[in-house]
Amino acid sequence: MEKFSKEMLKKLANQVMFDLSDEECEELQEEFVTYLKQLDLLNKINTDDVEEMVYPFDTPTSFIRDDEHEYALSQEDAMANVPLKNENYVVVPKVVK
Amino acid sequence: MRLSDFSKDIEKNVDLSVSKLNDAQKKLNAIVTMIEPDEQIKEVKEKDPALPLYGIPVAIKDNITTKNIRTTASSRILDNYVPVYDATVIKKLKEAGAVMVAKTSMDELGMGGTNLNAYTGKVNNPYDVKRISGGSSGGSAALVAQGVVPVALGTDTGDSIRKPAAYCGVVGFKPTYGRISRYGVIPYASSLDHVGYFTTNIVDAARMLSILAGRDDHDMTSSYEPVDDYEKKLNSDIKGKKIAVLENVMSSIQDERIIQNFNELVEKLEKRGAIVERIQLDDALLQTLLPVYLIIANAEACANHSNLDGVRFGMREEGKDLEEIMINSRTKGFSSAVRKRFVLGSYSLFVENQDKLFRKAQKVRRVIVNEFKKVLDEYDCVMASAASTIAPHPEESVGEKMSDTYLVAENFMVLGNMSGYPSLTLPSGFVEGCPIGINVTAKAFDEQTLLNICKAVEEETGLENVTVEVQR
Repeated sequence: MEKFSKEMLKKLANQVMFDLSDEECEELQEEFVTYLKQLDLLNKINTDDVEEMVYPFDTPTSFIRDDEHEYALSQEDAMANVPLKNENYVVVPKVVK
Repeated sequence: MRLSDFSKDIEKNVDLSVSKLNDAQKKLNAIVTMIEPDEQIKEVKEKDPALPLYGIPVAIKDNITTKNIRTTASSRILDNYVPVYDATVIKKLKEAGAVMVAKTSMDELGMGGTNLNAYTGKVNNPYDVKRISGGSSGGSAALVAQGVVPVALGTDTGDSIRKPAAYCGVVGFKPTYGRISRYGVIPYASSLDHVGYFTTNIVDAARMLSILAGRDDHDMTSSYEPVDDYEKKLNSDIKGKKIAVLENVMSSIQDERIIQNFNELVEKLEKRGAIVERIQLDDALLQTLLPVYLIIANAEACANHSNLDGVRFGMREEGKDLEEIMINSRTKGFSSAVRKRFVLGSYSLFVENQDKLFRKAQKVRRVIVNEFKKVLDEYDCVMASAASTIAPHPEESVGEKMSDTYLVAENFMVLGNMSGYPSLTLPSGFVEGCPIGINVTAKAFDEQTLLNICKAVEEETGLENVTVEVQR
């Protein structure tokens, strides 16, 4: 399990924007062992010439909607759940320094 | 409680439910938010008393957005989130005259099958509070089983309605993918997510489908298939109906009492004229159900939840810059279990892993569904015991993670999510005083046949409208 070092798992976590504790990394290392064993089961299935199944039914609904205004979030509603705001702006630390 | 047990006296209906809610909450811990019903009662009073849910109290899983009512999906990161719109299913419930009384606990963001991983803690099983309710729609299942509400909404990505239904002894129904709109439902894995519900009997399950189903332009995966009057057309004559028993599942169950319960039911269905045959799918294929599910679900979940960052909504943690705010908010906002699943999901989406993991899983999914479809081309439904045990205690392992009991019997219901076919669990008996259930799956959009067969099952078990009433 060398490839699933703590550093690698933390890097994986940081790429999707959160941290893992050392203890969580250890748990995850163990979980990866089972996960990879289960993944081995997939390789027993022949999928030559099989197309990926992305959704249950191959009949996506696609249509061109009428160019009519139906629904839009009001500014007030859009801002209703913002944790920190100033008038109509979402407040975050300065980005350009 | 049946829908037909309720009068047109809205206050009386709601008062009864609310008084039970308080007692049930102490016993079950099934509720995230109690909903103040007065405004809704006023609105319903303006409506036609002939509406199908006129003045009926209902509970809602906490991942379904409700305007002006806190919706957390049992996650800390959404603990302060108050939606500004209603999900389509909520609109439909309101239009039918229902009164919402509670938002129910779930495994965080739908990710789990035990309801142990909820921000508000474990949901207790109404039949034995030390045992789990099952999840992820555990709070909804427990409240219906406890006779607090006759109907509760849930969602189902792997078996999140049908497994807790089995553990809590109620009907849990996930119709065909696309049958019920998912607009306004906080997603888990979009290609597997379904909206469904719990009732105490099949007649109510049929009525609820006509109320909730139908095309919705806000959900591009919702279907144009016509919606029927399923309750009116309910017919338990199953003479000549062909039922396939999924023998892989039955042979991997260890508990003889569950097998016996199932076999006795099969005999009764045969006496009613059904043709029951035991079929076997390729074992190697069924063993891939769980890994295929995990790869697809974790990857889709990781992508879907990238918008939960504490910046525009949800719980924000401070940081010196935007990136640190996001990392701190997500680290504290998601439980350990969810973050670990996201890492697994992210791993399979890496460019170098996509072909051998994510795309491979999507291909195996098609192979599985093709095999399952062949069975349903020949039979009217597929049937098996819904779980290999009664509801376990929290510390009890579901079994060795690579065993057939775990890989097949505990996870086969995900066939309904991968295929999108309608699937229903209903009670079939009791073991050690705790409920057990059977699962029935039918062809895509053939909910009527599914409900008809389940009505026959219900007549044979006699377990219609069974609840553990709160003692008052």
